[in-house]
Amino acid sequence: MLNKNVIQDLLNEALMTGADFAELFFEDTNQEAIRVTSKDVSNVSFNNVHGVGVRLIKNNDVVYGYSNDVSEEKVRALVMSLSASFSGDKKEATPLREALPFDNKVKRPMESVPASEKTEKLLALSDVILSHDPRIVQSITQLLSWKQSILVANSNGVYQNDERHYARVILMGVASENGQMQQVFEGPGRAMGFEIFDDVNPFELAKDVAERAIHMLSAQPIVAQEMPVVLANGWGGVIFHEACGHPLEATAVAKGLSPFTGKLGQAIGSSVVTAYDDGDVDGAWGRTSFDDEGMKTQKNLLIENGILKSYLVDYRNGLTMNHKPTGSGRRQNYKFPPTSRMNTTYIAPGKDKVEDIIKDTKYGLYAKQLGGGQVSPATGEFNFSVSEGYMIEDGKLTTPVKGAMLIGKGHEVLFKIDKVADNLDFGQGMCGSISGSIPTDVGQPTIRVSKMTVGGAGGQA
Amino acid sequence: MNTKKWIELGLSKGLSDVEISVSESSSLKLVSYEGKIEQNTISDISTVSIRGVYEGNMGKVRFEYISDEHVDKMLDKIIENAKVITVKEPAIIYEGSESYPEVKEHDFDFSSVPMTKKVDDLITLEMRIRNNEKVSNVQTAVYQENTSGAILTNSKGLHLTRKNRFAYAYGVGVFKEGDDVTTAYEFDIFKTYDQFDPNKLADITIEKGLKSLGPVSLPTKFYPVVFSNETFSELLSVFSGLYSAESAYRHLTPFENKVGESIAQSNFNLIDDPLHEKAYFQIPFDDEGVACKKKYIIKDGVFQGFMNDLKMASIFNQDPTGNSFSGGIQTTNLYLEPGEKSFDALIEPIQDGVYITELVGLHAGVKAISGDFSLQASGFKIEQGKVVYPVNMIVVSGNFFEVMNAIEAFGNDLKFDVSGFGSPSVFVKSLSISGESK
Repeated sequence: MLNKNVIQDLLNEALMTGADFAELFFEDTNQEAIRVTSKDVSNVSFNNVHGVGVRLIKNNDVVYGYSNDVSEEKVRALVMSLSASFSGDKKEATPLREALPFDNKVKRPMESVPASEKTEKLLALSDVILSHDPRIVQSITQLLSWKQSILVANSNGVYQNDERHYARVILMGVASENGQMQQVFEGPGRAMGFEIFDDVNPFELAKDVAERAIHMLSAQPIVAQEMPVVLANGWGGVIFHEACGHPLEATAVAKGLSPFTGKLGQAIGSSVVTAYDDGDVDGAWGRTSFDDEGMKTQKNLLIENGILKSYLVDYRNGLTMNHKPTGSGRRQNYKFPPTSRMNTTYIAPGKDKVEDIIKDTKYGLYAKQLGGGQVSPATGEFNFSVSEGYMIEDGKLTTPVKGAMLIGKGHEVLFKIDKVADNLDFGQGMCGSISGSIPTDVGQPTIRVSKMTVGGAGGQA
Repeated sequence: MNTKKWIELGLSKGLSDVEISVSESSSLKLVSYEGKIEQNTISDISTVSIRGVYEGNMGKVRFEYISDEHVDKMLDKIIENAKVITVKEPAIIYEGSESYPEVKEHDFDFSSVPMTKKVDDLITLEMRIRNNEKVSNVQTAVYQENTSGAILTNSKGLHLTRKNRFAYAYGVGVFKEGDDVTTAYEFDIFKTYDQFDPNKLADITIEKGLKSLGPVSLPTKFYPVVFSNETFSELLSVFSGLYSAESAYRHLTPFENKVGESIAQSNFNLIDDPLHEKAYFQIPFDDEGVACKKKYIIKDGVFQGFMNDLKMASIFNQDPTGNSFSGGIQTTNLYLEPGEKSFDALIEPIQDGVYITELVGLHAGVKAISGDFSLQASGFKIEQGKVVYPVNMIVVSGNFFEVMNAIEAFGNDLKFDVSGFGSPSVFVKSLSISGESK
C-alpha cells in the first residue's frame, strides 16, 4: 500500500491537466469457500482480489483505470495516462484529512476460526438436510466468506479506510421421486464473522430447506392468470428492490431514464407505502461503515406514505442532479468505478395482520418464497419468480403451486399495494448492475398487490 | 513471472504435483453519451491460479497480489486447504494430450487503431441511433476491446499457451411513442477493427426498436410458440449443466441413469463442438490442458453421455472430454443442429401463435433440475403464418424436457451467442403464455 504522502502527490498530479476530481481506490480482498457435498468436505478454494482503481472526473466525464499492480511507479503511470485525456488549467487537491474510525463489530473474524470448526458446522447442517427424508437425494452446504480491506482517497480531502467482513451460509437440498426432481436453496448472509451461525438459525433453515424440497415434489404448475398476490415478508422485498429500488438509483435517474425522474415530492405509490434504504444496519449483509467513495453510510427515507422523498445518489451523479450524495456509492471491487447502489432496502411495517390479509383475499396467490428478479429501469418492466407458492381460495391457503413468474411495471405496481402487514423481515442476495455484483438485503413485511400478471405452465397441455 | 521456480517451491513443500496458470488481460472501454465520451476505462490485470496435490487431495488458490513472497504463502494455503478435504476423489494434474487441434489465433492489434477513430466511430453509432425521431434517449453506447493471454504449465512438463483478441460494440436505444417506451440494442463482436461498421450497427438497432414499438400484451392461453435462435440458445445454456458428469456423480441431474436412452425427439441433435467455425471462439484445450474435441451430447434423441474433467473421467473410467473450465465442467460451443426451413417457412403453418425474441430473468425463472421454466418475454404475434405486431409483458412457461419432445420444426438459421451457445429458430407445438387483460 502506498503511503499517504505519495497518495497526496498522485492526487495533485492527477489534477495537473484540468480534471476537477481525482480518486484512488485500493483494495485487498481474500475470499474463502468451503463446500460440503453429502457427508464429505468436497472443495476448499481461496481467491485474492488485489489492486487499485483510479478515477478522474471533469465536468461529468470520467476516465477510469485499474490494475493489480499497486507499485508507486505503476499507479503514477496510470494517473498520467488517464490525465492525458483532459486539457485545462491545473487544480489543487485538498489536503487529505485523517481517516475516521470504522467499526465493523465483528466478533469472530473468519480467519481466526480453525477450518475444522467450520467444516463441523457444514457437515452437521448437511446431515440435517440429508437425513430429513429418504426422498432427499443430495445436500450441499457451503460457507462463503470474504474480508475486503479498502482505502479510498480523493482530491476533496477524503482519506478513508474500511474493512468489510462478509459471511454467507448456503444450504441446498434436492428431492427426487418418480423421476421428478426439485431443488431448494437458502443463503442467509451477514456482515459478520463466524457468529453468523448464532444469528441466522441455520439448523432450522436446513430443516426447512429439506421440507420444502419434499413439499415441492407434489406442487402443481400454477395456471397462468391475473390475480391478487400476497407476498410474504423477507425475500418478498425483491419486488420493491426490482420495481422501485433500481429505478431510484441515480444511475437511471440522472439520464432521465427512470420513470421516477423529476418526481420528488410527488405520489409514486399508494399511501400505505413507506420505504427506506439503509447502509448502516448492524450486521446486515448490505452494510458498510463507509461507502466506496469514503462517505459515511446512512439511513435514507425513499418514500413516505407514497410520496417520493429521495433518490440513491453517488458523488458524480449528485453533481449532475444537484442532489446530495446519500452514501450509496458502491462497487464490486477495484475493477469498477462506483455508482449509486442499494444497501438494505425495505418497505416499512404497516398495521395489518398477515392472517387478516389472507382472510380478506377471496382468490389469489400466496408467494411464500421468492427467487430472484430483474428490471429494466428505462421501461420499468420487472419480473421475479416464486419458488414456493400456495393458492388462496376463500381466504384460506390451499394447493401448493410451482413455476409462478410475476411481471409488472414498477411505477404501476406501487399504486397497487393495498395491504402492508406488521412483520418486517429481510432476505439476502447478490445484486448485479453496472458497478458489479454486491451484497444487498431486500426486505418487507407481508404485503398484498391487488392485481398482477402471473405466468405458469398449468392448465391445458 | 518465474513459474518454474514456483513449481519447484511447491514440490519442495511436499506437494506431489503443481499446476500454474497465469492469465494476463488488458482492455479499453469507451462509453459515449450525448455525442461525447463520458467514460473511458483502461485496465491491465494479471491473475495467477495454482492447484497442488497434497496427500492425494487437491488444494487451489487464485490471486492477484503477485510477488514471490505471496506465492510462498499461497502454496502454504494450498496445503492447508487440501488438508481440510475429506472426500475420497482422485486429484489429477495432467501430463498432456497426444495432440491438440489447431485453431486460428486472432491477433489483430486493436491498439494500432488511432483513439480518435474509435471515438468517432462510437459517437457515430450513438448519434445515428439518437437522431432517429422515435428515439428519446440512448441509454448507453459502448466500445470495448480486450487482449488476453494465458499460460498453463505444470510439474508434469505440460506447457500450453493461448491468446485472444477481440472487440465489441453496442448502443441501447430508448424508443418512445406516446406512453410506450421500449429499449433495443444489437451486440456486435469483431476480430479485426474493419469489421466494426457503426452505421450498420445503428441501423439494425433502430430497425429492432421501431419494430417493437407499440407492443400489446396477449390474452392468457396456450399458443404455438416460435423461439428465435437467440432465445433458444439462452434456454440451451441454462440447462447445459445437466450434461456434466459431476452433476451425474452428485445426483444433480435427471439424466443420471439415462445414457443410451431417448431423452428427446428423434431429430433432436445436440453437439458440443469446440472448433465450430460459426462460433465466436475456437477452443483448443481446457483449463486442465486436455485437448478439446467435438462430440454429440444428444444424437437422434438419444443421450450419448456426460462431459467430464479429469477427476470425473477417472471416477467413471472414461476418456477425458476436455470440458474443464472455470473450476467446473462446462460446454465449449454447444449447439442444436439446425433443420432445413427458412424462418418464413417455419412460421407459415401458424394461425395464432407467438414469436419470442427476448427472454428476461433467466437466472430466476428456470429450475434446471426439474426442467421447469417460466420467463418474462417479448416478441411478436404470429397470425395466418405472418409476423404481425409486437407483444411484451407476457410470461412463457413450460418444461424444457417436454419441449425437447414437442418441437414441430427446426429453422435453418443457426446462430451462436458470445458465450458459445448456438441454436436455430425453433417452433414448439404449444406453451402457456400469460398476459394482461385489457
